Amino acid sequence: MTTRKRMSNGALMAVLLAVTCGLSLQAMAAPPRYADGKVRLDRMPGEKGYWDKPGAASLVESGKKIEFLPNGKLKNIADAANVAPFQPWSLALYKFRQQNNLVDDPMKVCMGPGNPRQMMTPGGVRFIQDNNYKRMYMIFGGGNHNWRTIYMDGRDPPVAEEVTATFLGLAVGKWEGDTLVATSTGFNTRFWMSNGGLPHTEALTLTEKFKRVSKDVLEYEVTVDDPRTYTRPWKAAWTFSWVPGDIEEQFCETGRE
Amino acid sequence: MRHLLAGLLLLSAAAANAQEGFPLDGTWRGETVGKDGSHRTIVLVMQWDGKHVTGTLNPGPNGTDFATGKLNPEGWKFTLDVKTRQGANVHFDGAIADLGKYNRVLAGKWTEGTSSFDIRFVLE
Repeated sequence: MTTRKRMSNGALMAVLLAVTCGLSLQAMAAPPRYADGKVRLDRMPGEKGYWDKPGAASLVESGKKIEFLPNGKLKNIADAANVAPFQPWSLALYKFRQQNNLVDDPMKVCMGPGNPRQMMTPGGVRFIQDNNYKRMYMIFGGGNHNWRTIYMDGRDPPVAEEVTATFLGLAVGKWEGDTLVATSTGFNTRFWMSNGGLPHTEALTLTEKFKRVSKDVLEYEVTVDDPRTYTRPWKAAWTFSWVPGDIEEQFCETGRE
Repeated sequence: MRHLLAGLLLLSAAAANAQEGFPLDGTWRGETVGKDGSHRTIVLVMQWDGKHVTGTLNPGPNGTDFATGKLNPEGWKFTLDVKTRQGANVHFDGAIADLGKYNRVLAGKWTEGTSSFDIRFVLE
């Protein structure tokens, strides 16, 4: 009996080890590529899947250990000044929003999340690489079920004052090795940059880096540069996980969480 | 019913113009009534360049640029100095109320030459 039990324990261990190794191998599997060697950020032909489960729920400068509630509220308001390198007015506004229980969050009335908040909003994201027109389309399941275009044809980023400002900005992109680097300008000021209420102005420029480090992991880094709001550019980073299936339908309805 | 519809339209129009950036950015409109019953509208167009609040008093043919505009986030107090096209010195001393709302208010005392009055601007 004891021997059988030992054997079954051993078998169980072996199965667990195999499953764990299998999962690790799957997570570490090399990212799929196009015939020309470029990394494929989207699904393979015949595959179903998308990126989701953003590894961060609130925007905070990389390297800062700050605790938030799931809705973006700081566990300790004394940490406010460490979230980002604020100018005095933006720190005061951030604190006001925090202490006002985030009641004026534009997303509560179904306004778009804007960027980079869109990249922290669960619901899924896909990258549609249009190599003929040299564009990358990103479609989102979270927020307002929106999409954005990253122009990959070598054009310069638009001058913010000369374009109609939008929630997601106007982006140009290029490949640096296996990393897609997108620079966006032309943001409106009708959204909060995070669920915690980080402010910005029309001077905002975002530089985003997307790198599919394995089949199932996408690394994301964003540099926030808004000299009217922050004293210096700052970075935040998180990851996405590959989720099998299709992005589910969802729509924002005012008055419902 | 018509009133309800009009109200909803107004609300949706206002929400569409919601502004979440620097709290003074935008167009502010205030009205005052003189002793003789005459109405006067004062318009301030303001923006933040990262260091200073700049702007124009009554934009148009008689518009003049601010000499100084200062926002103190402590209490959201705002002071403004500007000279009218007619040459009168103007000093405004006020504070922002309803900070989180799109139609926030800037209320305070307007001193123009030797006269002064209270005024309430609303962000459009």
